[in-house]
Amino acid sequence: MHYYIFDQGNLPVEKFEQLQTEAAGLMAEFKISGEAARVTPLRSISDLVDTASQRGAKTLVACGSDDTFNLMLAALKGRDFVLGFIPFDENSYLAKILGVDSVQAGVKAIAARRLLKIDLAKIAGNYFVSFLEFGVMSHKLKTTGLFSSLQLLSVELKNIQIRIDDSYDLNLKALGGLIVNSRALSAKSKTIANPTDGNLDLLILEKLSKLQILKYRKTIAEGFLEEVPKTTVIKCKKIALLEPRGANLTMLGRIVAKFPATVEIIPQRLRMIVGKNRTF
Amino acid sequence: MDKDFANVEGPAETIVGPSVKIQGDLNSEGNINIEGQVTGKVITSQSVFVKEGAKITADISASNAVVGGEILGNLKITGHLILQPSAKVSGDIACLTLRVEDGAQFTGKCNMKAASAINGKKTPPPSDLELEAEE
Repeated sequence: MHYYIFDQGNLPVEKFEQLQTEAAGLMAEFKISGEAARVTPLRSISDLVDTASQRGAKTLVACGSDDTFNLMLAALKGRDFVLGFIPFDENSYLAKILGVDSVQAGVKAIAARRLLKIDLAKIAGNYFVSFLEFGVMSHKLKTTGLFSSLQLLSVELKNIQIRIDDSYDLNLKALGGLIVNSRALSAKSKTIANPTDGNLDLLILEKLSKLQILKYRKTIAEGFLEEVPKTTVIKCKKIALLEPRGANLTMLGRIVAKFPATVEIIPQRLRMIVGKNRTF
Repeated sequence: MDKDFANVEGPAETIVGPSVKIQGDLNSEGNINIEGQVTGKVITSQSVFVKEGAKITADISASNAVVGGEILGNLKITGHLILQPSAKVSGDIACLTLRVEDGAQFTGKCNMKAASAINGKKTPPPSDLELEAEE
């Protein structure tokens, strides 16, 4: 049985109801209707995941924003579901990764049921399939102009200390970096940001000249740090972020943890429904 | 590049940037490109590229290696090793084939045996027939 979790998030009521009706219509058309529940102030996503488990649902579908999906991941608590995602947000990052960039594409993918086992990254009780940032604010760079980009990437370098796989320590002065499981766009390098390889990719951005900032600001905004000169690239399974203490770790601008923190990969943990146009 | 050394090239899975200092055992299953400093061990089943300006105080174990920086430690290479003009190596080398370019500095012993010997197996003694042929 499919269990759909509808979450209004920050959407206006009218827009949300319009998308919900569209999704319900398409589900009926593709004969994948199941039980649907809406998140309310009294029924959290975690409560709904518990209900789905009690009802014996096998497929859990988040209908909402990236946050809806991430909260659903955090509520799984080791329970085994096939997961799906129907985006209600045009700018959904996850939708691009999974290749389901509209309500229709999301419903079609669930009907086609193309399943892939993908890696799940874990940090301080939170789970993610995309990436975390520290120092570099790629989402800000996407929307800022030239002058603001220069300001954002000309900040003072931070002393960064990171332990990799409990095997070696990395010390450097850098602008910041990314911890990547997957990205919204396919990179030139197929080995980086592949959520099926059982690894995390740590990308650290070193100091850039003004000319380099101008040349690479779009590349940095897309998260392709490996294409920027002098960037450090490490493939690993466990990353302990030690210094600078108190520095923010963000996911799409939202703070999810602070240094010190440990990020780990759980290989092939999720059974995920993906679309044809996925980035991996 | 010579035919023997052609397979040394390839995209790096691990890149250590110029301002990075690593302490500990750097293990990888892919190519490693080092521009910074490493103290400890470097181990990969693929190739290691030690760029000009890099400083390694570590033993290196790899399939192939191209060295343009400084290494203080032993190199155990099962395939091809290239010492570029800017290379400075202090330590013992074990490899299958070696190219030392003009200007490279090397202090240590060099042992060039079959790959199996580098991997820890003894090289079989030459047969009588081979000895006779050599005479």
